[in-house]
Order: sequence, then structure tokens, then C-alpha cells
Amino acid sequence: MAVELKQPDFDRKRTILKSPVRLGGETLEALFLLIPGLVLLLVFLVWPTLNAFWLSFHRENLLGTQRDWVGLANYAEMLQDPAFWRSVGATFLFAAIVAPVQMLLGLIAALMVARPFPGVNVFRTLFFLTTAVPTAVAAVAWGWFLHPIGGVVNRWLEALGLPPQPWLTSVELALPTLAIVTAWAGVGFTAILLTAGLQQIPEDLYEAARLDGASVWAQFWHITLPMLSPTLFLVALLTMLSSLTAFGQIHLLTRGGPAESTMVWVYRIYQDAFFNFRFSYASAQATALFLVLLLLAGLQFRWFGRKVHYG
Amino acid sequence: MGRLPRWLARPLFYLALGVYAWLLVLPLLTLLSASFRSDADLYAPGLLPPRPTLEAYQEALQKHPVGRYLLNSLVVSLSVTLGVLLVSASMGYALARVRFVGQSLLFGFVVSLLLIPGEVTFLPLYLMVQQFGWINTYWALTVPFIAAPLGIFLLRQFIKSLPQDLFDAARIDGAGHLRILWHVALPLAAPALGALAALTFLGTWNMYLWPLVVINNSSMQTAQIAIAQVVSVEVTSWNVVAAVSILVLLPTLLAFLLAQRAFVRGIALGGLKG
Repeated sequence: MAVELKQPDFDRKRTILKSPVRLGGETLEALFLLIPGLVLLLVFLVWPTLNAFWLSFHRENLLGTQRDWVGLANYAEMLQDPAFWRSVGATFLFAAIVAPVQMLLGLIAALMVARPFPGVNVFRTLFFLTTAVPTAVAAVAWGWFLHPIGGVVNRWLEALGLPPQPWLTSVELALPTLAIVTAWAGVGFTAILLTAGLQQIPEDLYEAARLDGASVWAQFWHITLPMLSPTLFLVALLTMLSSLTAFGQIHLLTRGGPAESTMVWVYRIYQDAFFNFRFSYASAQATALFLVLLLLAGLQFRWFGRKVHYG
Repeated sequence: MGRLPRWLARPLFYLALGVYAWLLVLPLLTLLSASFRSDADLYAPGLLPPRPTLEAYQEALQKHPVGRYLLNSLVVSLSVTLGVLLVSASMGYALARVRFVGQSLLFGFVVSLLLIPGEVTFLPLYLMVQQFGWINTYWALTVPFIAAPLGIFLLRQFIKSLPQDLFDAARIDGAGHLRILWHVALPLAAPALGALAALTFLGTWNMYLWPLVVINNSSMQTAQIAIAQVVSVEVTSWNVVAAVSILVLLPTLLAFLLAQRAFVRGIALGGLKG
């Protein structure tokens, strides 16, 4: 923000300096720098986005060769499709588990490593490590960790005298289990952002509080949490957005099953497009997902607008 | 609620750190352990393999072209990273330092593109790539991702925050924009470029849905999707699956350990948007 305010002053200086050196060539240079990227953006981002809308108003014939205009028929079908609504429900339940678990695990990690101490770098590396783990590797690691026979978790349960659980193969457990896997894979990301947020809190606030004899808990509740709240809110939204579009770990571990219990929104889009060959119907579902994500992102930008002077 | 004495607080703090780190890394450790087990020892209890062996790695490398998968991922991730750096630097510079008609409008347009998720564009993009004849090629995996709104945005913000005097000095010396971009802006933007490179490399290596749909030829498959294939082939040989996974994990893990600062910066920048 501060930079933006100083800018007009710079500009005045710049025009004085610039005009004798170079005239008119500037637009040409700008075009040279801009055109390659602009063409790529238009072809591979803007056009497909418009096309997604276009597709969602059409329907392919039986051969899949021609698309006929059907107006809102795909949307009407979608809204009456109980399978679609089950997917929407599963998606939100999934996100509702991922977001708080990932936030809490990441916050604990960030609180421990935000301030320096001997050996802090080792623990930062370990806590941030999951960001370097590809989705498929995370999924396989947990597939083995939760394995019915060899898995560590079921061994622990047995040691405690509890029955082993079919983590990924039961209709009730598969979705929450996948949510935990996803939250684990995201801990590094959350920990990095929250550590950055914690480091922006001025140290003098804590010193003043200590002088006043505030306990560690009091410092946490009255300094850390309020000062961190903009970051926390942002991270919560980012976590929500990414968990609403989770796909890889689900594809690898459950393929949407058992009994479609983990058939989340994106998985259904994939399924309808590439297995049922209904690209237009899938596009309508993708467009609906886009609207939901936009709504959440809009919330994020509004929050930003209000909080920008804060940091 | 009295405070703990210092001689007790320190060790307790390290104990908590250690336990937490241990729990977070445990799923990866058990995977590592499985990769060093023979078929016979696979289900033997304990974290450490009773008789460590490289059998699973040998079998993995014999039965699956893991090297080829890694090469595919490496080619794709490096190409996209290089492309993103080039496009983001030139567009970011133009949007920050060159004056032309409609600059702020164009910048607003790029920012609005940040909102478009890949899950919305991938179906039409698939149809387009199919028409181009790019199915099963590196083109499909790289070209669509070279112009990244986030990269353009980050570099524009960074270059705009650099001191104006440097650019004025270069101008007085008679340098054109291309030379200023190359000799002034880019060297100064090295931290931002490093962060963006780390973020892009990781993001591309992590692509899942897109390679899954545009590649159906095994030799062109990226390492991530290859794991999914290996899992479905080696249903019971978890040690082989684990070995393949560890091999796929190594490059990103090494990159992360070597350039942790850039990764952390990239993720913080990408998340907090500047």
C-alpha cells in the first residue's frame, strides 16, 4: 500500500527523465514483452473458461461427435440428480473435516517453531516436510499406514485391545479417513503460512505482557490469537478451497468408493466426463463448482480489503 | 498454574517437539521401512525391517520403468518452471515498469484470472489438446501452464517495489526496456524468481488430474500417475509399491532440503499473495 501511495511522485520524475531518451518505442517494447504471455493466457485459460460455460449449455449426441444447444437442461438435470447432491454433501463434509484438523495440526507446529531456539531449523524442516511430498506418495504412505494387516494404526488398536478398523473400505470411515490423509499432507503448507504470520507479531507485545506478569496462556489468548487472526482466516479459506477440489489421494486410495461414499465433486466430474462420456453434463457440474469457489474467494478478497492496513 | 522451572521447561519443550515431529513423519517412515522389506518380512511387526534388503527396489526397477517416469516428470516440471519464469518476468516487468495504454486494465485482468481454478478449465482444455493432437505428448503437460497468473502477479508486485532510482539510472545510460529487464530487474528479482521457481516446480511435479487424463501411454506417464498404476498392478506387493514411491519422493525431497528457503518463501508468497 505504501508503495502505491509514493508512485505518482516517481512517475513525475520518470516522465521528465524519459522523454528525451526514447519516444513512442515504449508501446512496441511493451507489446514484445506482453504478447507471448497474453496469447498463452487467452488460448489456455480464458478460452477454456468461456468454453466450459458453452459446453454446459450443450449436449453431445450418442456418437459424441456433435453438440446441440439444450439451454439449461444440464443444470436442471444436475439439480434433480440425487447422486450429484450426495457428491456435494460428501465434498463439504470432507472440507469440514480437513480444514479444522489441518489448521490445528499446522498451528501447533507453527507455534513451536516460529521463534528461534537451538535446533529450530531441524524441526522447521520436519514440520514443513509434507509440502515436498507428492500427493500420490502421501496417499500410498497412508494406504500402508492404515493397511488392514501390516498397518501401524491397526496394530496400535490391537495392542489397546480394540478391533482393527477397515479405514478405507468402509462406507462410514472412508471419507473421514481420506480427510485426515489430506489434512496431514497439508500440514506443512499451513505451518509455513502460520509461521510467517506469527513472525510478524512484534516481540515487544510479548515483552510488555511478561512485564505485566501475563501467563503463557494469557499471552496466547490475548496477543497471539488476535494478532494472528487475519492469517488464520486466510489460511482457513485457502485450506477450504484446496480441500473442495481434492482429487489425487481419492483417485489413488478409494476411486470414489466404497458405494460412492468418497465420490466428491471433482471426482464425479472426472467420472462423468471420462467414463460416462458426458462432457457437457460434467461441464455444468464444473461450472457450479466454479461458482461455489468464486463465492469463497470473494469472501477472501473482501476480508483482504478490510485487513490490508493491518499488517 | 505456576510456571515451570527453566531446567524442566527446556527438556519438556524438546520432548514435545520430538514427539510431534515423530508422529508427523511416521507415515513416511513406515513407507520407508516397507520399501526395505522382503516379501516374507513385509508384515513382520516393528518399525525397522528385520532383515533389510534392496529386493523391492530391484523388483520395482525391473518391472516398472521408474527412471523413465522420473525423467518425464523432471522434463515437464523443469520446462514449465523455465517457461513460467520467462513469461512472468517479461509480463511482470511490462506491467510494473513500461508505460502503455490500458496497463492497469490489463493488470486487473491478470488478477481476475487468479480466480479460475484448473478444475473448471480442464474439460475444455482436454478437448482442445485433443484437437491439437497433443494427447500423450510433453506439449499437453507443459504449454498450457507456462502463462501463470500467479507468477505474473508476484513478479509485477516485486519489480514494482524495487527502487525507482535504479531504473532511472539505467534509462539515463540509454538502456532500453529489454536491457533493463535483463540487467537490472532480473538480478534484483532473484529472490522472487527463486521462490516462484520452487513453487512452480513443486506444483507441476504434483499435478495429478491433468496428466491422468491427457496421458494414457505408459512411457509418457509422469511419476505421480505411475504410482497409481503400480498400486493397481502390485495389489499385494506393498514393498514394491513403497520402493517406487520412495524413488518418486526423492527428487522433490532433495529439492526441498537443498532449497528450503526458496520453497518456504514461495509457499508463503503464493499463499499470502505478496
